[in-house]
Amino acid sequence: MIKILYILKKEFLLIIRDIHAVTVLFIMPAVFIMIMSLAMRDLFELHGTVSIDVLAVNHDAGKKSEAFLKAMDRLHTFRFHLIEKEAAADKVKEQMLARDYKFALIIKENFSAFVEKNGKGKEGKPLELLVNPAVNVQTQLVLKSALDGKLAKLTWDAFIDRMGSLLPLAGIDREKLTATEESPVEVNYVYKEGQYSKIPSAVQQSVPAWLVFSMFFIVIPISNTFISEREQGTLMRLKSMNVSRFHLIMGKMAPYLLINAIQVIIMIAMGVYIVPLCGGTALTLGDSLGGLILIAASVSFSAISMALLIASAAKTTEQATTIGGVLNIIFGALGGIMVPKFVMPGFMQDLANLSPMSWGLEGFLDIFLRNGNVSDVLPKSLYLFIFGVVMLTLTAILLRRRREV
Amino acid sequence: MIEIKHLYKSYDKPVLKDVNLSVRRGSIMGLLGPNGAGKTTLISILTGVIRKESGCITVGGLDLDLELKTIQLKCSYVPQTLAFYRLLTAFENLEYFGALWGLKGKKLKERMEFCIDIGSMQPFAKKRVDKFSGGMKRRLNLAIGLLNDPEILYLDEPTVGVDTQSRNYILETIRKINRERKTTIIYTSHYMDEIEQVSDEIAIIDEGKIILHDDKQTILTRDDAVLINVEKIGEAVVKGLQQIVGVRIEKDGVYVKRDERFNENMAGVFALFHAHGILVKDAVFGRRTLEKLFLKLTNIRLRDEG
Repeated sequence: MIKILYILKKEFLLIIRDIHAVTVLFIMPAVFIMIMSLAMRDLFELHGTVSIDVLAVNHDAGKKSEAFLKAMDRLHTFRFHLIEKEAAADKVKEQMLARDYKFALIIKENFSAFVEKNGKGKEGKPLELLVNPAVNVQTQLVLKSALDGKLAKLTWDAFIDRMGSLLPLAGIDREKLTATEESPVEVNYVYKEGQYSKIPSAVQQSVPAWLVFSMFFIVIPISNTFISEREQGTLMRLKSMNVSRFHLIMGKMAPYLLINAIQVIIMIAMGVYIVPLCGGTALTLGDSLGGLILIAASVSFSAISMALLIASAAKTTEQATTIGGVLNIIFGALGGIMVPKFVMPGFMQDLANLSPMSWGLEGFLDIFLRNGNVSDVLPKSLYLFIFGVVMLTLTAILLRRRREV
Repeated sequence: MIEIKHLYKSYDKPVLKDVNLSVRRGSIMGLLGPNGAGKTTLISILTGVIRKESGCITVGGLDLDLELKTIQLKCSYVPQTLAFYRLLTAFENLEYFGALWGLKGKKLKERMEFCIDIGSMQPFAKKRVDKFSGGMKRRLNLAIGLLNDPEILYLDEPTVGVDTQSRNYILETIRKINRERKTTIIYTSHYMDEIEQVSDEIAIIDEGKIILHDDKQTILTRDDAVLINVEKIGEAVVKGLQQIVGVRIEKDGVYVKRDERFNENMAGVFALFHAHGILVKDAVFGRRTLEKLFLKLTNIRLRDEG
């Protein structure tokens, strides 16, 4: 036990004094999480709430348009940029082109009158939507549907208001007639393999993705120390000191399991506390601590095992760093780290299943996003464990063949 | 202390072929050999790093095959490479390797202090090793090998790449350890003067075989002789020379040993030459150095040319 403690101490000192290792293991993923969570925030939110800028001018003679615009704002789908009320249609068009807006909304003078007359007025349409022809039809429909919906609700609410005094007499509960603002439709996303879940927010995707990616980058410090030990004769010295194979392997596994655990804590803390400070949404963790520990340990085991194989196979640290780095990037690109799996076409989602990073990422998403527990992450953990055992076996064969350990 | 009999080891081709060697307890044995002669393989087998194929090795009366772990605890190996961690301090390196030897608490502290002291590392023990000079690194490499107070110390070229002062310090330290703690030391080096300076016995290995093993004095005085260079000599002269004790015939001439019978022997040799009409081309006085002997025994060709 004491030997393991000194081995842990040695590996920790080597890592914290190696600026490259610290950068790759802690700084790189933290920066990635921050950048990706903020940069992709709007993109991810497109799935729940589109953020489309709309130029707007309000000519309404009444007050109903203000309630209408507030209701549209609450959708968090559009950002209305109001210009001066006096602006004529030509000026709106001019500004729309000059400021590169895709849409402009003109609320006409008769808007309030239209609402109050239950949409039966003869003064013409109360809203005019100007659209940049480059905008695709789907997006136009999103905005048009939202405008239609909110106008219909406003009109209905106005009607209920007018009927307000009569409803109790007829024994009708006014609240029951008021249309709710919340959508009655729950959206879930169906993955290729039949799972369905909510779509992750930028931070829900970024934290587990870059966490898994950085855990696999353990290959850099492992190969640095392992190849140095081999080249400098330290491994030979250790073997002549009757240091058992168990201690040699545990001497590599245990410290890096702990370092991976620290990565998990730091990256989760980034998502929960730091990203919101910078304007992103906070990471939510789910309820299963056991599941989180299981998937984190499994990712760590497979990452360390793969790193040991690369370190054993490579002749120099440069070779190990290149092979490890390239493999990690391929696994990351394939496994939904760089490009989320849900935007991939079907065949790419099939290919993603070949990447151990994908198993790890899905495991973390099970916990963070789908409220999964130990049994939900067990299959992914099992894949990762088997992958790790295969890597370790190959490492042992290679080392034995080279007579190194 | 160490007995090696009929040791055989091969990788793709034989590396050690019927090696027989014995090392006395408490002696320093200089192991010489050209590149690829089998020195490192021999030490690797003795330290348990690799396994032999056949033969018998006993260390302190214990069979290496059966008692490897016990033997390893009594030995220490200092590789030619600087086998420690450059990002750690000297103190942290000693602490780590000491702990792996199973030392702890007061004992660990005592041994670390001894090693820091013997390596003259007090002023920089808490500095990172990557800031050390070549000599300091070599001293640390040796000091780590002394942590377990070994009965047998294997030193693989412990002075490579250091300045004269550090080299002398290391050689002095090795002598001191041997003298004070009766440590048996197997010492490999390419520096013949080092081997001459530090060893009690010398073994030369070449192409996987021990081709010479004796006390240093015996080896070095073996050629304390006069070399007489003559024209071709006939069988009768050869027979006559063989009758004279202290005279031997080799490829490069006739050697007359410089001992108490030297004058008498020289007279006998010259009389024999005169009787057979043989002309003496020249005669050289002098003690042959270990380097000349080594080159003669292992041939002069470069070994790393294959």
